[in-house]
Amino acid sequence: MSSKKINIALVGNPNTGKTSLFNQLTGMTQKVGNYPGITVDKKQGGCKLPDGTLAQITDLPGTYSINPNSLDESIVLETLLDTDSKDYPDLVVVVAEVENIKRNLFLFTQVQDLKIPAILVINMADQMERKGISIDLKKLKEALKTEIVLISARKKEGIEDLKQAIVNYQEVPREIPFQISGKIDVAYFNELKNSLKEFPLYKSWLLLTQKQEASFVSKTSRRILASFKKDPKKVKKYQHKETIYRYKFINDILKRTYLVDPSKAKDLRSRLDKVLTHRVFGYVIFTGILLLVFQSVFDWASVPMDWIDGFFSNLSKTVKHSLPEGVLTNLISEGIIPGIGGIVIFIPQIAILFLFVAILEETGYMSRVVFLMDKIMRRYGMSGKSVIPLISGTACAIPAIMATRNIAGWKDRLITILVTPFTTCSARLPVYAIIIALIIPETRVFGLFSLQGLVLMALYILGFAAALLAAYVLNKVLKVESKTFFIVEMPNYKLPSVKNIFFEVVEKTKAFVLGAGKIILAISIVLWFLASNGNRDFKNATQQVTEQFSESEISEEALDQKIASYKLEHSYIGVMGKLIEPAIAPLGYDWKIGIALISSFAAREVFVGTLSTIYSVGSDDEGTIKQRMAAEINPVTQKKRFNFPAGMSLMVFYAFAMQCMGTLAIVKKETKSWKWPMLQLVGMGLLAYVSALITFVLLK
Amino acid sequence: MLQEILIYVSLGLAVLYLLRKFIFKGKSKGNCDADCGCH
Repeated sequence: MSSKKINIALVGNPNTGKTSLFNQLTGMTQKVGNYPGITVDKKQGGCKLPDGTLAQITDLPGTYSINPNSLDESIVLETLLDTDSKDYPDLVVVVAEVENIKRNLFLFTQVQDLKIPAILVINMADQMERKGISIDLKKLKEALKTEIVLISARKKEGIEDLKQAIVNYQEVPREIPFQISGKIDVAYFNELKNSLKEFPLYKSWLLLTQKQEASFVSKTSRRILASFKKDPKKVKKYQHKETIYRYKFINDILKRTYLVDPSKAKDLRSRLDKVLTHRVFGYVIFTGILLLVFQSVFDWASVPMDWIDGFFSNLSKTVKHSLPEGVLTNLISEGIIPGIGGIVIFIPQIAILFLFVAILEETGYMSRVVFLMDKIMRRYGMSGKSVIPLISGTACAIPAIMATRNIAGWKDRLITILVTPFTTCSARLPVYAIIIALIIPETRVFGLFSLQGLVLMALYILGFAAALLAAYVLNKVLKVESKTFFIVEMPNYKLPSVKNIFFEVVEKTKAFVLGAGKIILAISIVLWFLASNGNRDFKNATQQVTEQFSESEISEEALDQKIASYKLEHSYIGVMGKLIEPAIAPLGYDWKIGIALISSFAAREVFVGTLSTIYSVGSDDEGTIKQRMAAEINPVTQKKRFNFPAGMSLMVFYAFAMQCMGTLAIVKKETKSWKWPMLQLVGMGLLAYVSALITFVLLK
Repeated sequence: MLQEILIYVSLGLAVLYLLRKFIFKGKSKGNCDADCGCH
């Protein structure tokens, strides 16, 4: 009987069942050794192999690669690089999970490159049939030049085969199938190899890419490594190239040896996928989820919104009555508070929208939506990769346009950049929400669906449809040939983490409110100033109006109202508004709405804050924003200003208009030309104007 | 008088902020964070 002892290291990605395997091999006789200064465990245990050899098994922390980003990963790297350590492995057993084999092979090939004998264990092999997975083991062994064992640690299957493979570890080929030096910069890697002859090349490369110097490396080697580290940009670039080539190498192997046939899969994930990505039920379920989201945006948010609206109205009133009379008090009570209130009121609706998006992302459903939408995209001449920018455009067009960088074909990318601003971003939500609340009654359709929620959903669909149609037209007009392929990795379904969702919603809402809040605060101050000052007519307003009504019987209150109205019309902002009124009057808007349209060119959500400030200046009416907008009367028709035709026309205008300077700037940056953002500005502006005009004329 | 001075100071700061935000943009500090300057 042999009395030999060998060291075996268990390495693998987190959650691959490494610890279960460790327990199977050691029979739960492991001891846990805490390393000084760190909290991460490195478990060790003994295992008697079939030939009597005693194997000391070390279970290393789970890691995705041996380029350490955390302490756990540093332990793995140190164990595999420090050849003088008593724990240095004679054999590394890399544990992979059958479903995510690609990611696991990244780590496996890295271990192989260190010239340590390595065998691959594919765990959860009992799930293969249920998941529709088939592996050509012979070809995979040949391609990876290693021994591969299929096991199920949970069911204790394949453990004896693994023990036998460990016994025969010296028969494992020492060839390295992936050669880093031949693929990137041959001269650079040859120099590295010749400078540090005592190390395998990949070990030198790993030591070179570490931020901290390894304690086990000699001073001479450290000096040599330091000379290679002089150009950190080059090192980083080569690291990226290594990742790309390594995955390309793995993909090529898996194409020949690993097959997933979803039609044969029987597990819960596959069953759910079959329903959620079904060509009919998939869309029905998605529509149902959208209905739920938009119903909730109105139903759940109404109470806190009323509370916030009332709070700002009272705050404005309190400030006006408590502070000494003067222009500063007016600025605060008529300019700043209503302006800021105009955005804070939408926090509940925005938070609910972000909450649903976060839940859909966390559960893994969003990837299925991307898959579903891909089918539609292709019909309209867009790339499948355009789905992600279009869907993320529902939050903000700017990061969405930046996300087009991974679209390979220029034509596909350009079309996606040009149409992404049509998708309904969160900045449109405040505009839609306030107008819907003013013109759509709070009734239920079929006693179940809120009509307001349905209208909001229709506006989101309108934006998406506009993006698709615009893409279709652009695809026909732009004559550039290009083709891209789209691969989406479907994550596993999981229960969403409450903590993750909470932080996601808080962060996104905070970014929205603080980002918009600063602009609105500044615009409110400027608007208040322009509305509270003016030329000679403005200054003589009291005298002019009093003279005009001197012979008619009019109450003092009504006279004050007339003076305030006259002042506003003759203020700087009134003059500017009157100047553009002829252009917007056919759409059903007055000069006050015109001012809001102009100021909201900076950012759409400024619209409500602007109107809120304009309606507050000089007004004694201390109602909420909604009440003030609802009370606004058209002097010509003596009907409500925000009636159904004008409100619908405004919403259609905002659905299509390119009202965002930030988006224009990013389009210029991404296309490196002013031609495309100008085309967007003019094209979308014309579409918005004509559509709003048609809407108003048809509904009038 | 003091109130008027404060008004003009606030107005100046507001105009300066808007000009810096939309017209004379400073250099980006690196990666895009949660607020990409879209608001």
